[in-house]
Amino acid sequence: MQNIKAIFNKSYSKYIWIVIILIVWEAVAKLTPVSPLVFPSLELIGAALLNSILTGDILFQMLFSLGLIFVGLIIGVVLSFVMSSLSVISPVFESFVDTCISIFDPLPGIALLPLIILWIGTGTKAILFIIVHSVLWPMILNMTAGFKSIPTIYKKIGQNYEFSSAKIIFKIYIPASLPYLIAGLKIGWARAWRATISAEMIFGASGGIGGIGWYIFNRRVFMDTPGIFAGLVMIVFAGILVEDFFFVKIEEKTVKKWGLS
Amino acid sequence: MKRLGIILSLLCLVLVSGCTAQESDSHEKVIRIAEQYGIAYAPVQIIKDQGLLEKNCPGVQVTWEQMSNSTVIREAMVSDKLDVGFMAIPPFLIGWDNGMDWKIATGLSSVPTGLVAKDEIQSLQDIKSSDRIALPQPGSVQHILLAMACQKEFNDPQKMDNILVTLSHPDGMNALLAGNDITAHFTSTPYLETELATAGYHEILTGKEAFGGDFSFIVGVTTKKLHDESPEVYEAFKESVAEAIQFINDHPEEAAEILTKYYDYSKEDIFTYLTAEDTEYSPTVKGIRKFSDFMNETNYLKKSTTDIGEVVWENTADAEY
Repeated sequence: MQNIKAIFNKSYSKYIWIVIILIVWEAVAKLTPVSPLVFPSLELIGAALLNSILTGDILFQMLFSLGLIFVGLIIGVVLSFVMSSLSVISPVFESFVDTCISIFDPLPGIALLPLIILWIGTGTKAILFIIVHSVLWPMILNMTAGFKSIPTIYKKIGQNYEFSSAKIIFKIYIPASLPYLIAGLKIGWARAWRATISAEMIFGASGGIGGIGWYIFNRRVFMDTPGIFAGLVMIVFAGILVEDFFFVKIEEKTVKKWGLS
Repeated sequence: MKRLGIILSLLCLVLVSGCTAQESDSHEKVIRIAEQYGIAYAPVQIIKDQGLLEKNCPGVQVTWEQMSNSTVIREAMVSDKLDVGFMAIPPFLIGWDNGMDWKIATGLSSVPTGLVAKDEIQSLQDIKSSDRIALPQPGSVQHILLAMACQKEFNDPQKMDNILVTLSHPDGMNALLAGNDITAHFTSTPYLETELATAGYHEILTGKEAFGGDFSFIVGVTTKKLHDESPEVYEAFKESVAEAIQFINDHPEEAAEILTKYYDYSKEDIFTYLTAEDTEYSPTVKGIRKFSDFMNETNYLKKSTTDIGEVVWENTADAEY
């Protein structure tokens, strides 16, 4: 028992679980009388993925979606940074931001779709709008919570050194609330994916080859179930890559090193 | 070890609860039909309203499932949640091509369908890469008709595939009339008529021109399970469709009156749509082979039909192959 526990405490335990899930998957696909249209085997999914990589646009579609998410996240981070900084400084603005959050945060971007079609249209701008909308509010919540969690004594020390407001925000608030900011970024990343995929599935290839959501939708309407899974595998792969390399590295370099978490 | 036992028994619970959901529906005479709305589906509403299935097969238990598009219907039929669905020929062929055990039981309707564009676009030639065409989804009859027209016009069926936007008929109409980036919309009755009645829009391609003749717009499809295991119910279904079609053709005014209960249109409007020159309700299936050959040549299908028996149940006399 001890040995088993030790294995699952390691950082690679995620991959052990993935292998177990894949084995169970293959066993179900092979040993039960389930239709490959419903539950394709790993070979079929692998072949579909390989075929899409070699002959299709899946890699470019993936890059297209990632690019949209990247731009959306940057806009979201900048906006939420401005709004939460202002609401830390000014109580009037704080109540405005609070009102915005309680109005917009529970609204799913997809529910706004009919309006977005009428106001912005169906192009890349519309997809970006949905991404920013789904990223912005949870990030503001996290950022303001992070700023508020900072002991007042930190701010007073800054004031003692006669720091300007900007300097207090950049030198004290941001480093001290970084665990919250990173958590906010993680939530934003996950919500941006959801928004992108659902918007792409509806708006299609708005110019060029479209994104990975359009790929999955296309596979679905042409009843290519292994192809649907190939698209999902790509998204999972990108998710793990970003989690294991990007976020883990940032945390190691900052909050872990500083002893904040 | 005790904890392992708890985990395993929880796992078993999950598996067992997954299985029990499949066990119901052992009633003897059951038919589960997808209910869709629209002028093209008028006979479906007549069947429901007049209880034709119950009349033709006493004791049958009819379940109407609300479904919005043919992809959902197809998925429901794969997972055995549905016995009968109504859809256009191309989505049916895509399912058949991918190994679904189903065939066409009857034709249903042909209604006007076409590509509506802003006035500055005079023909397909005027559509640029910055334009956007809204249609229900790739693989839909509207998409295949557009591909057919592109094949004729440009010798490239996929020419428009990268400027498509997937929108349901009402959303597509709103987007087109809002005047933003959607510059054309491939749609059908009654959205087609509404768009054409708006100033600044005109039709640049009709379904008939694209196809080069008549074709069934909507057909009725049943699973092999229903056809083989409940022949009585299957026959009653076909009879009901035929009766409903007969009723609409013989008594369009009465039919329009009934349909006001289901559609948000006035009786007069529905009557106009039902009796329009290009609207035809008929159990005869038309155009399968042409769709199938075209979709195979252009790689939307991996194979084509070689014999009508592959795609239509035994009533081949009712089909123009």
